[in-house]
Amino acid sequence: MKGILFLILTILLFSCQTLPLINSPVSSVNQKALTCPAPFLKEKYRLVHTIETRMAGDTRSTIIGVTLADPSTRSVSCAVMTAEGMTLFEAESEPGVLKVNRALPPFDSVDFAKNMIDDIKLIFFVPEGKLQTKGNFPDGATVCRYSEENGDWIDVIADKSKRTEIKRYSSSGILRRQIRFNKTAGNIYQHIELQANEQFNYSLLMTLIEAQPVKSKLLRTKSSGNTQR
Amino acid sequence: MKTYRNLFNFVCIAVGVLFVLNPLIYAGTNAFEKLRKESANIKTLKANFVQKKSMKILSRPLVSDGRFYYIAPDSFRWEYVKPVKSIVIAHKNSTKRYVYSDGKMVEDKMGGAQAMKIVLNEIAGWINGRFDQNPSFTATIHGGTNTMITLTPAGQSMAGMIEKIEIVLSREAATVKSVKIIEDANSFTQINFQNVEINKSINPSVFQDVK
Repeated sequence: MKGILFLILTILLFSCQTLPLINSPVSSVNQKALTCPAPFLKEKYRLVHTIETRMAGDTRSTIIGVTLADPSTRSVSCAVMTAEGMTLFEAESEPGVLKVNRALPPFDSVDFAKNMIDDIKLIFFVPEGKLQTKGNFPDGATVCRYSEENGDWIDVIADKSKRTEIKRYSSSGILRRQIRFNKTAGNIYQHIELQANEQFNYSLLMTLIEAQPVKSKLLRTKSSGNTQR
Repeated sequence: MKTYRNLFNFVCIAVGVLFVLNPLIYAGTNAFEKLRKESANIKTLKANFVQKKSMKILSRPLVSDGRFYYIAPDSFRWEYVKPVKSIVIAHKNSTKRYVYSDGKMVEDKMGGAQAMKIVLNEIAGWINGRFDQNPSFTATIHGGTNTMITLTPAGQSMAGMIEKIEIVLSREAATVKSVKIIEDANSFTQINFQNVEINKSINPSVFQDVK
């Protein structure tokens, strides 16, 4: 009986991991002066990336991903296609609404669409949750920690060489997603690496093909009106 | 994924086969019969292509460039040069797809090579002129300034994936001008062919070398 209890306690101990420790500045002035890293979109953008999928370090395939993301409304449209132009997946999401327009196997599970939209939001949008802590890791990296409504934690980190990283942890502190922006100058979305820790771990290496700001219809109407004048 | 692979390979290789069957510049009930006779003249074929993918989410088409090689009876190389490097090679009863990773081409492990083999068996039938006997598609030929072949999915296996494929043949040059793969009302892929060379020497290494 004691042996079983010990085993259960051991499993529980290992399943509850702790989040990395953040050293917050002691003075409130220093804390205010600390700027949170923000590798996020500031306006509506259309981005086209090649996406290399890897499992166990092996390249499995390369596809093309198109993302249309509007940070002001937190709406996302996305599509995945092969190099040969075959559309495998197409979906659009607004807060509370997810509409899948096309999903061919293996992209046809309900979880896939939700996870993909969540990943896109994690990469391109400021976390929706509350800013909980800001400070530094022991290695000097600047970090801001957000607590999400579902209990997850999101760390947005900038190391000393200004390389930016986003980490999403479950409510029990298990690292679920790790996103690295491997470009410190120019377009930050040039090279993005996403590491997913799921039942089967995988990583996505995204390389930018094109990025284009998208003007809203209202602005376009106004500007075309101005041109005519 | 298997169904998709079948479809993808069908499209890629159908384009190739249509090149081989390019002397089709007439319409009528005997057109496919004539195809079978005339296709025997094509021994090798080489071309460049420009692919334009249009869909609602894109403000302008996504443009890809590539090359296509064929040696009779069943060796194909369908290669994208940019923006994504990828190659499909069918040679000596084996079909493989390669993608660019870490500075080199590596074999794509997502697809089913077995599925590709099934498709190729169908393709072999088309090369022999049995183009209108593929049960997956209904083929119709339309005459005019340029001849057009329309392939429409015959069964439910491709429902929701592809609406139809339109192949335009150039009357003057007697070669395939373009292929349009229509997925739905908002999404299609247009492939235009250029610099088509027929029966010129092709180094067989293009079906082995994936550099």
